[in-house]
Amino acid sequence: MATEMTTQASSRFGVKRLAWIIGSAIFVGLCLRVAFAATPKIVTDLSNVIALSLAFAGLVVLTHYLGLLSLGQGAFVGVGAYAALHVVNDFGAPVLWMPLAGLIAGTLVGAVVAIPSLRLPKAYLALLTLSLGVAFPIILKQVDGNLPVTLDGEFIAPSWTGIAENDEHIWELFLVAAYASIAIFLVQGLLRGPIGRAFIASRDQPEAARAFGIPVYRLRLFGVALSGGMAGLAGGLLMVPTNFNDYTHFPEELSIKMFALAMAFGGSRLISAVPGALVLIFLPVWLIDRNWVVEYGWVGFVKSEGFIYAALLLATAYLTKGRGFMSLFESRAPKPTLKPSNRRVTSVVRGLVELDTQLGELEGLVAKQSDSRSREETND
Amino acid sequence: MSLFLQRTFDSLANGSAYAALAVAISMVFRSTGVLNLAQGQLAMFSTYIALVLATGPSPYMKFSSNTDLIGAAWPVWAAILGAIAISMVIGAFTERVIIRPISDNPVAAVGATLGLYLLLGAFVRKQWGGRTMFLGSPFPQTAEDRWDIGGARLWHDSVGITLTMIAVLGLLAVLQRRTKAGLAFRAVTSNRTGSLLVGIRVSRVLMFGWALAAGIGALAGGLIAGEINVRPDMMGRLLVFGLAAATLGGLRSPVLAFVGGYLFAFLETMLGGYVSFVDSQVTLVWALLVLIIVLFVRPSGLMPRTEAWQQK
Repeated sequence: MATEMTTQASSRFGVKRLAWIIGSAIFVGLCLRVAFAATPKIVTDLSNVIALSLAFAGLVVLTHYLGLLSLGQGAFVGVGAYAALHVVNDFGAPVLWMPLAGLIAGTLVGAVVAIPSLRLPKAYLALLTLSLGVAFPIILKQVDGNLPVTLDGEFIAPSWTGIAENDEHIWELFLVAAYASIAIFLVQGLLRGPIGRAFIASRDQPEAARAFGIPVYRLRLFGVALSGGMAGLAGGLLMVPTNFNDYTHFPEELSIKMFALAMAFGGSRLISAVPGALVLIFLPVWLIDRNWVVEYGWVGFVKSEGFIYAALLLATAYLTKGRGFMSLFESRAPKPTLKPSNRRVTSVVRGLVELDTQLGELEGLVAKQSDSRSREETND
Repeated sequence: MSLFLQRTFDSLANGSAYAALAVAISMVFRSTGVLNLAQGQLAMFSTYIALVLATGPSPYMKFSSNTDLIGAAWPVWAAILGAIAISMVIGAFTERVIIRPISDNPVAAVGATLGLYLLLGAFVRKQWGGRTMFLGSPFPQTAEDRWDIGGARLWHDSVGITLTMIAVLGLLAVLQRRTKAGLAFRAVTSNRTGSLLVGIRVSRVLMFGWALAAGIGALAGGLIAGEINVRPDMMGRLLVFGLAAATLGGLRSPVLAFVGGYLFAFLETMLGGYVSFVDSQVTLVWALLVLIIVLFVRPSGLMPRTEAWQQK
């Protein structure tokens, strides 16, 4: 029985993996097609979507894995963008290091915000991050001034890529996609392992998690720093296609919109970060294309970005109880009880099940024997 | 010394606004456990209501035809009182329609308050536009309306705003300690299940709490509008200081939140005035840094430590 279940599970896993590989290959093919065929504007927008997906994935980690609220994700993205530009402009670092500078800066700021706020109830993190979201554009304006800061460097594709010199947007898209894929791969691995399970345990049963030896405070701190780092990396990646930064790029509304979208589309999987990034980038373009932004009065109100985001947030709160619309599509089928990922555990469980079967058979034999013995006694 | 005195006096009006918002936030958090992030926007919206009442039908307003019902322009104090009444109804409505159905899920509730935040911002921008408007102060505000104390000028409207806020806090204390409604509110904030068991209508009390918080926010908006003028983003900065002040009060003590509001305003003015590298535009940042440091050193803020840890 146990062997059968394990075989079934492994064959299902194999099919799933194959589907993933085929899906990824099709996706990469599509991306290549779009990168070489679409206009530079669309390619740049796609680069921004990929970069922002990372920031949304950070919010998914925080909100859906740890049950914490960050209302300053836009500020973390801004911190990453600032660090990325200045590490090249002021320290002469190679342009390819920009995203790494964003990652480090975002992680550090995340940790600084998390250390004091996580010692208190969860609301304090929301409060401090919101404050950071409001304060960040003011800080940036003070530090960088009113004028945009432009990158002192450029992304030139190596000759082996075959990308023409004036098609740098294609090379930038590949760079952003490569960084984002590596980051998502690492974070996904992290979330599937013991750390991801500890995140969920600390979210659902913090006291029980503490009793099992999980350091809940340190784990949450790590989660916030990870989320900040992902947003910082997103900021660094945003600077790859954009090449300039100023204080108007990261207003407080950006953080609130990001939270709204992460809440609305965020399921328990990192892939749910993509729709949020798509809406954030393409909704304003769509509204401008329809000339809705210039309408006033009641009609203008209903057609405004603020109304759309507010409706999305309220609908998420009511219809999904804050879990997000993607969670409605996640399968709720009960998982097989025997599915340990560790080989040693599998063999132990299999041995135990076999032992249980043998014991059952032995009990049957003993019962049969005692039954025949008692019958003999009755006959006597 | 006179400069120090002047800066202290200057911090009074802002301190009153921060204190009022902080009190409103801690009242809602204390009773429902929901961090009302729309508190600032609610206050901003009620300031626009006061503006409509005070201005009367105006060709500069997008919905001027709707103001015919109001008739002639009201005095500023009457307009603020009218806005408080309307805001209290909006606050009660918000609790009943938006928050109560999802109050068992804090993430959804915070999301709903953010939805309200965006909704009010969008509404005000589309109805009144983004430009600055003038409401005026309910207190005398001319150049002669001041007292000269120790070489510093104490403006009548600053004193009026401060005294009004202190009076409101006093009234709130009396309401909580001397009336049945206040007793019920205290019981609900202390033990909701116990309150239900002794027959208190908890939902009604919570609605009352939200209405009261919205009214206090409206008062803050109306009073400070004479200082900072009316525009859609007028409450962003005030909300951050209000939240910070509420934090200093441990998010649950209106009295400490009130004190925190004045402390932050004092700190803001002094940092901007005495520290050369702190521009008046970035005092917000330094105040936030101070808040982070305070939370590092004393996580419970001004609250006694035992009470703060009980909240965890």
